[in-house]
Amino acid sequence: MREYNIVITGVGGQGVLTAANVLGWAALRAGYKVRIGEVHGMSQRFGSVISYVRFGEDVYGSMVPEGKADVMLSFEPVEALRYINYLKEGGVVVVNTKPIVPVQVSMGMAKYPSLEEIRKVFEEDFKAKWIGFNAEELAEQAGHVVTTNTVLIGALTQIPEFPLDAEHVREVIKLSVPPKAVEMNMKAFDLGIKAAKEILGL
Amino acid sequence: MAKVSDIVLWDKPGERVLLLGNQAIARGALEANIAVYAAYPGTPSSELTDTMAVVSKKAGVYMEYSTNEKVAFETALAAAWSGLRAMTAMKHVGLNVAADTFLSAVGMGVEGGFVIMVADDPSMWSSQNEQDTRIYAKFANVPVLEPSDPQEAKEMTKYAFELSEKFKHFVILRTTTRTSHARGDVVLGELPEEIKQGKRKFGKFKKDPNRFVDVPANARKFHPVILEKIEKIREELNNCPFNWIEGDENAKVGIIAPGLSYAYVKEALAWLGVDDVKILKLGTPFPVPYGLLEKFFQGLEMVLIVEELEPVVEEQVKTWAYDRGFTIPIHGKDLVPRVYEMTTRRAVTAIAKFLGLETPINFEELDAKYEKVKPLLPPRPPSLCPACPHRNSFYAIKKATRARAIYPSDIGCYTLGLLPPLQTVDTTVAMGASIGIAHGLSIAQNGSLSEEQRNPEKQVIVATIGDSTFYHTGLPALANAIYNRSNVLIVVLDNLVTAMTGDQPNPSTGQTPHGMGKRIPIEDVAKAMGADFVAVVDPYDIKTTYETIKKALEVEGVSVVVSRQVCALYKVGQMRRRGMKWPIYQVNEEKCTGCRVCINAYGCPAIYWDEEKRQARVEPTMCWGCGGCAQVCPFGAFEPVKEGSQ
Ligand code: SF4
Ligand code: SF4
Repeated sequence: MREYNIVITGVGGQGVLTAANVLGWAALRAGYKVRIGEVHGMSQRFGSVISYVRFGEDVYGSMVPEGKADVMLSFEPVEALRYINYLKEGGVVVVNTKPIVPVQVSMGMAKYPSLEEIRKVFEEDFKAKWIGFNAEELAEQAGHVVTTNTVLIGALTQIPEFPLDAEHVREVIKLSVPPKAVEMNMKAFDLGIKAAKEILGL
Repeated sequence: MAKVSDIVLWDKPGERVLLLGNQAIARGALEANIAVYAAYPGTPSSELTDTMAVVSKKAGVYMEYSTNEKVAFETALAAAWSGLRAMTAMKHVGLNVAADTFLSAVGMGVEGGFVIMVADDPSMWSSQNEQDTRIYAKFANVPVLEPSDPQEAKEMTKYAFELSEKFKHFVILRTTTRTSHARGDVVLGELPEEIKQGKRKFGKFKKDPNRFVDVPANARKFHPVILEKIEKIREELNNCPFNWIEGDENAKVGIIAPGLSYAYVKEALAWLGVDDVKILKLGTPFPVPYGLLEKFFQGLEMVLIVEELEPVVEEQVKTWAYDRGFTIPIHGKDLVPRVYEMTTRRAVTAIAKFLGLETPINFEELDAKYEKVKPLLPPRPPSLCPACPHRNSFYAIKKATRARAIYPSDIGCYTLGLLPPLQTVDTTVAMGASIGIAHGLSIAQNGSLSEEQRNPEKQVIVATIGDSTFYHTGLPALANAIYNRSNVLIVVLDNLVTAMTGDQPNPSTGQTPHGMGKRIPIEDVAKAMGADFVAVVDPYDIKTTYETIKKALEVEGVSVVVSRQVCALYKVGQMRRRGMKWPIYQVNEEKCTGCRVCINAYGCPAIYWDEEKRQARVEPTMCWGCGGCAQVCPFGAFEPVKEGSQ
């Protein structure tokens, strides 16, 4: 495989970097060359964030060019939409549908679009495949909201032609979370897999 | 997945690991047997320093968080004078702070290898300007090494020490955000015995006043020596392992790709499916080695230089080509933008234009499609964290001044006080500048207390500055304001760590990577300097904070209020690690009148507006339990819920 490109979007503090790291290690262990592009510093503080994960035989820069992401993993619906231009035609978006409303919206200075509106742009204007569900709810079912990113990564492994083996990804998560949180994360991972399978009709 | 700090110290040569560019540089420094490391944190350089902090003890390296870049520079420089391998790191604007020492000491050279890591931030993701360190390098006649990926970042660090030692000259290792904050696969090399054994290395300074005393008589001798050195280094760099020519030997077109641009150029060419070009991969944008240029130019009919920011390589190449009599077209900044960071898209677009090709994606079409999405997007700028003590300080300042003061502020998380609803930041220039600007504003608008003529119409000025920034460059500005008697209130937002760059300690924290340092309370400094009013408050107690600020505003002269409460992000991190819980606040629907004070005046990001019920709500996953909302709400609608906790 020449290259596989993932963009991960969300709100600073949601665990975007952690997710990127897990996928990066999984790709490294699968023998690929890996590049991850991260955001640090002030931009992390509850602002909009995007990270890039790229792997394959032929990867160079750490940023995915616009129009070239095979998939997007998004922790928040508006943050998925904000970076939609990175997705390639026919790309897939795995998105947590639970919104985080920016202060500007609460203050009445801006409007938050409806989920239907967001989905429509993905499906109609950008011809993307939409895998949206409330991952936070599933994370709570697994034991705690902090496992939201595990739920989402679980779902990601189910998309067609995803080049990393779900079990390999699971192994990396096991190694990267504190021992007492392993069980909860495995449960979250499975719930993510299940959610994606249902949506994809697998 | 082992801890990064362990990986950086792994004695496993040949092992392939995933490291952040900055961590790879730390590993490179260890492989080079570094002895002393001193730095002040600054995005995007901070993780290098943080990694050194974690590994230094085990590796026998002396490491310190210095109070600013200039003293960090001097610490490391003196170690290099003592024959040790030493390194300092900073962000691009940090070099401005260190510039005085940097430019004066360069002529003195070094004994042990001395590497200055400078991280530039094109596109200014976390910075106040977009300067190009390579221009400083040229100005100072110091060679720059610029890696194109994390692996090279590690290797280059080793090479930088060797180059520095060989020529007894400073060497700059320049990264950009995308190298420092890119994670990539890195193959570990050998660690020297001394590092493996954690043996602290000590040096010896040999006195030589003709060299180390920068009086004009000596300095006059330095400049020609520097120029001679840099030309010798230019020669040497013809054989630098990070410079090479690749691609089609017989090609008519050539592309010069310095530093990280090499990665973008490679990707762009692959994307365009072009391979009949010759590439000059340049790891040393200054000085450009002429011998290699000579070889590269053979047979070429046109050349493109794909470089980020300023035309540093372009100018060198064009000057050289003119002198050498080459008349082929040399493109650069006419096709590659001079502002903001390089991207593959930019490289593809420039190369496509250069070669008269179509871009692989119709970017204009994509942009047009995206334009239609933009109106749907609510803004989401970064904001002060939930429970951030700065929010309370700003809230109290705004209330006490009835929003009628001028608010000079500084560099740190608190700059975010600029955003609505707080809007209590009017100026931010550079580290420590808030106090200097406040003083200047007061002098300009009201005059100094020591002047006979003063303007009776009093303009209130409230400066804010963080603890780390206070010690960084706030100190001389405070001395100046007190000495010259302006009328300002300085609120030191003391959250006991350097939060924005990742919770590094500073004199207000007291802790150092080696254990306890000595804590310097800010109020003691202010008192000792002779401030006219000094008080310490806890911003979690909003009422007292407000009252203290009111009182301070009545005092003529320089008042200093230290608003002290530990950074919420830091605290929550600690609590999570220890498995501790905190209360979550919620809105009592009976009591909330929908007045929106909590949202429109206070603005904790955990509080949002429920359109249906026309009431405020708390997002439980974001509440960090400070109770600020409960103090702000006029109707007592916020209540702690004992069960909820993270
Ligand atoms: S990191 Fe600390 S200082 Fe910065 S905004 Fe968050 S709580 Fe405030
Ligand atoms: S207690 Fe109130 S102000 Fe503090 S974090 Fe929670 S919602 Fe925000």
